[in-house]
Amino acid sequence: MEGLLSTIQQALQLLLYGDAELWAIVLLSFSVSIKAISLTTPLALLLAFSLAYGNYPGVRIILAFFNSLLSVPTVVVGLFLYVLLTRQGPFGDLRLLFTQSAMVIGQMILCFPILVALGYAAIQAADVRVWETARTLGAPRWYIILTIFYEVRYGLLAAVLTGFGRVISEVGISMMVGGNIMGYTRNITTAIALETSKGEFAQGIALGFVLLSLAFLLTALLSYIQSKNGGNT
Amino acid sequence: MTEPLFVFHGIQKTFAKVEILRKVDLSLYPEKCTLITGKNGSGKTTLLKIIAGLEKPEKAEIEFSGKSHSWEKIMPDICKKIIYLHQQAFLFSSTVESNIAYGLRFNTMTREQRRKSVKKALELSGLTEFAKKQANTLSGGVQQRVAFARACILKPKVLLLDEPVSNMDRQSREHACHLMQFLKSTGTSIVITSHVPQYFDGLADMHFELVNGKLIET
Repeated sequence: MEGLLSTIQQALQLLLYGDAELWAIVLLSFSVSIKAISLTTPLALLLAFSLAYGNYPGVRIILAFFNSLLSVPTVVVGLFLYVLLTRQGPFGDLRLLFTQSAMVIGQMILCFPILVALGYAAIQAADVRVWETARTLGAPRWYIILTIFYEVRYGLLAAVLTGFGRVISEVGISMMVGGNIMGYTRNITTAIALETSKGEFAQGIALGFVLLSLAFLLTALLSYIQSKNGGNT
Repeated sequence: MTEPLFVFHGIQKTFAKVEILRKVDLSLYPEKCTLITGKNGSGKTTLLKIIAGLEKPEKAEIEFSGKSHSWEKIMPDICKKIIYLHQQAFLFSSTVESNIAYGLRFNTMTREQRRKSVKKALELSGLTEFAKKQANTLSGGVQQRVAFARACILKPKVLLLDEPVSNMDRQSREHACHLMQFLKSTGTSIVITSHVPQYFDGLADMHFELVNGKLIET
């Protein structure tokens, strides 16, 4: 018990006294995950819109496919991407393996189905009169889409936050295609795994605190968004 | 009577194998108000939505500028001149003035011209005091007036009103009818559906009843 308390004390010291190595890892994690979510969101939401409003065959099958990908293990995505990016793989010439770009691509693959599925649920719940009113008032198609997105903004924001929560806390992809290279591809989760395997718990616990704080913050934000959303309907 | 703006021929629409509209013909004239009555589920809303280009008919021809066109071909051009208002007004989740300005964003007006236009529309509709309020927090009657002002500001050739006064008290109803009269006098063709034709006694020039998918002049 004493050992645990002392480790937690060390972890807090590392966080509060601004340990450069630790904060560089935190920064890298956020940088990679924010890039992944920012690049994925527009495309995923447009696909979600087309599934909600498009009248074409196969919508249900596409949705079922994305829903089934919601719980895909991150190591499977990592493995799949590793096979593609390895020297002998089809995209080996791009030399992306063990780079931040590979981590971003992996996290994009991970959050894409979440954004499509949750985005679809939010867009589909929009009142049909939003589309009809915007159209009858002469809005061009792109503006109608923006209007619908604005009307369901809380639902879409919840989707984005859920996606962000998933990618920042994943370990499988970052470990397999990032390689956990210090100062280059080492992020919060891979650093925790490494420090724990070395028996250096203080830094692992400090990084764990960052992830936990983020989880609490995201949960609080989601609750707030849900309450706002409920107030509007 | 003057030349019609649009003549709709043979509108057909089927829902779940039930023929809702059976070769409906309707002419829309400038400065005229057409009242359509009918039972619940008789197809009044569907007819208005087809005219507005919001719902696709199985078949329909539109005579416009002396030529006959299929619904699919001409609708993208003419739907900009036709505005449809829902029975329960839908307002975007923003302020009243932002709602009224919505349609003006797609024309060539400057920001200042837009501001003046919105101010005038607010005054004309008696909504100035609500200008900065969140539109979806207002009562049903006021929301209907905002939706009406938002449509009128665009000076449509045809205004389609689905049960426009059903949510209104007497005072709001009279105000709305006064606005409709004003809009009619500026050349707009108005089509109204209602359960209570008496509300539009002084306004309607033609009265049809939708029975078994056919429009019957009364």
